[in-house]
Amino acid sequence: MKKHNKKNNKQYRNSWELYASSLPANSKLLNSRRHFFKQTTGLMAGMSFSAAVLAKNKSSESLSQTSDEPWLTISEVQEHLFPRTATHNTLFSPGAKDINAIGYLQTMLHLPSANKEEADFIIKGVGWLNGVANNQTGKSFIKLNDKQREQVLKKISASEAGENWLSTLIRYIFEALLADPVYGGNKKQLGWQWLKHQAGYPRPPENKKYWMLKRKLTIKDAYSG
Amino acid sequence: MVEYDVCIVGSGAGASPVAYTLSRAGFSVVVLEKGPWLTENDFYKDELACCRRSVYTPSLQDEQHVIEDYDGRNKNGQYKWASEATSESGWDFWNGNCVGGSSNFMSGFFYRLKPVDFYLRSEFGPIDGANVVDWPIQYEDLEPYYAKVEQLVGVSGRVVKHKFAEPRSTKDFPYPPTIEHPIVEHFDKACESLRYQSLPTPRAILPHAVGTRRGCEYSGYCGSYGCSTGAKGSGRAALLDDAVRTGHCKIIPYAKVYKLDSNNKGVVSHASYYDENGVSKKISAKIFVVACQAIETSRLLLASTGVKHPEGLANNTNQLGKNLLFSAGGSGTGELYYKDMSRQQSEAFKRRGPFINRGLQDWYVIKDKKFSSQLKGGTIDFLLSHPNPTTRADSLKWDDNGKLVWGEALKQKVHAAFTEKQRFRFEVFNDWLPTDDCFVSLDKTVKDRWGSAVAKVRVGYHDHDLVVGKYLTQKAETVIQQMQAKNINSSVSGSPPANLVAGGCRFGDDPQTSVLNPDCQGHDVENLYVTDGSFMPTGGSVPYTWTIYANAFRVADIIKKRL
Repeated sequence: MKKHNKKNNKQYRNSWELYASSLPANSKLLNSRRHFFKQTTGLMAGMSFSAAVLAKNKSSESLSQTSDEPWLTISEVQEHLFPRTATHNTLFSPGAKDINAIGYLQTMLHLPSANKEEADFIIKGVGWLNGVANNQTGKSFIKLNDKQREQVLKKISASEAGENWLSTLIRYIFEALLADPVYGGNKKQLGWQWLKHQAGYPRPPENKKYWMLKRKLTIKDAYSG
Repeated sequence: MVEYDVCIVGSGAGASPVAYTLSRAGFSVVVLEKGPWLTENDFYKDELACCRRSVYTPSLQDEQHVIEDYDGRNKNGQYKWASEATSESGWDFWNGNCVGGSSNFMSGFFYRLKPVDFYLRSEFGPIDGANVVDWPIQYEDLEPYYAKVEQLVGVSGRVVKHKFAEPRSTKDFPYPPTIEHPIVEHFDKACESLRYQSLPTPRAILPHAVGTRRGCEYSGYCGSYGCSTGAKGSGRAALLDDAVRTGHCKIIPYAKVYKLDSNNKGVVSHASYYDENGVSKKISAKIFVVACQAIETSRLLLASTGVKHPEGLANNTNQLGKNLLFSAGGSGTGELYYKDMSRQQSEAFKRRGPFINRGLQDWYVIKDKKFSSQLKGGTIDFLLSHPNPTTRADSLKWDDNGKLVWGEALKQKVHAAFTEKQRFRFEVFNDWLPTDDCFVSLDKTVKDRWGSAVAKVRVGYHDHDLVVGKYLTQKAETVIQQMQAKNINSSVSGSPPANLVAGGCRFGDDPQTSVLNPDCQGHDVENLYVTDGSFMPTGGSVPYTWTIYANAFRVADIIKKRL
């Protein structure tokens, strides 16, 4: 059944915020929709970038190496999608780098409970992006100026797979902007401050991050800590 | 030699009153809960934990449902149905799998059913295509238990005179209302000028400490979050903690019951479950109580076949899983812009924490010349939009044409949405009529991670539900218009809210048309009781939780007498 495509997500957004279910149903939607990633595989076949970079980056020390690919490119894409702007109603308006969006994304994609299909999709998309950038300009994405970057992103967003890739990155940027700083984003609560957001309390401490709350609850989420 | 007097499957609002009542009476009780045992020490205001990751609910890859939804009509005009696994659609039907169940994550706005809800068929007559019946008990039978819930679970509120007010055996609520948001004054004025009666909403939240539970701290993150203080009347905080302290109640978390075994006399002998390591175990008891929320309760009983129960427990007349109920209605929002207010007012309206605690029940029964006869109406509840910031921001990344927005344009959109206005919201609750198009069965192909067939749920609705939903939604809109809200937007649909579910094991006098007898005991299984929302033949036009608690206390008394 094809009727639940991306634009139809709003179908589940219509009512009843009272209990746990309605919000999770919306927000977990993309994580759990396997065909969302499946549909992109055809498009990405033949792209030269190796998915092996993910495996290479799995050791914990390399987590902080955002100067390595593919994280360097992803970080530049994030900043383009969510740039720092000088002032916004005279308030400092943070960009993706200010809130450590790349560090946050790395943490999430390396969790034992991470959606491997999604992680793969994000990494492979970098190869695809550079393929388009090279075709158009003869250069990789990070070598392009702002205007060229915009053109390349416009180009890839014209395809459903490309738009899915960018929207997945934006979803993680918003988490990095507005989730609790304990998860590595939202540095110095810059996201909350910028949006004058009143956070709840008590806030999660280091030893109560979400993946520490359940022991061996599911096969997929098997957690040894 | 049986191990326990009573074995309860599930630990939420339907299970906890039974565990509480029977363990305090000295009977030995075991509670089998599929999920973890989280406490106040595990609940933080963490949007990722509550709402964006599968922490309190299973991963849909591991455990899911198959949903059968309308897919147009065939040439003969009959409905076609298309089924899709929720791991594919992302449409999550889990509501909280941990000790205390989804009552941990409710926002606790509590309404009793009204006397008329117990005899809809007699009062309003039959409706074509709907299986509306009267209940086998009356409001008076449940009233003492509604009162008991106020006391034990902790319901705060204020009694006012109202044309549809339920009769009460006690004068007022045992706890005064929680603190209310400044916007309430604005709301009350709007209602007054429209001649509607603004009604204080009772809430299962303690305004002050009681026993080991602390009072509400008004963090502003309540619904869909676990409570950090114990103020919220979850089955765990309000009842199970006390039950465990009696020394007669054992709770086993991570215990996934997959079958109730019955002997050649048709009596249930054991609950078979997988423990946290996936090892199959059995527990014996004199009496078994099933309360794992409507869909899963029907699923477990359907899967529990035996010599005397070839189609599943309590299914010898093929009624099990039928007449599943959700809540019909819709919702809407309006935006109140700070620039249209005085500075003082805008600062007040920006607050997060205090409750709105307001609803309308002026049209619980609709008498309007528009309709040829009186109709059963419903409830409108008012609230602030949910505060989850990530979810909200992420919803803004699409423009009106469904194209992705990024860069400075996206930032400005998000900044404006967060800083320039407060969104006021309403939700409409009316009866989801029971029909032959809404039921639970076992899926033939999709299995959960233990290899058991998952529940397949057909989610058809009755067109009448939309007629009533639209009527109430229009009334609700007049209130937020009167409040000078802008960009008013509402929707009424037949899409089922997965968190408001009941039915599937309706109770009644006639075994041919019901699964349970008036005591919520299986018609054909003498030591089986069902105490979650499954028993309800019609749902009423309010959220179900208070009624589930009350009925479970009622059935607990019946079991106590029997033991």
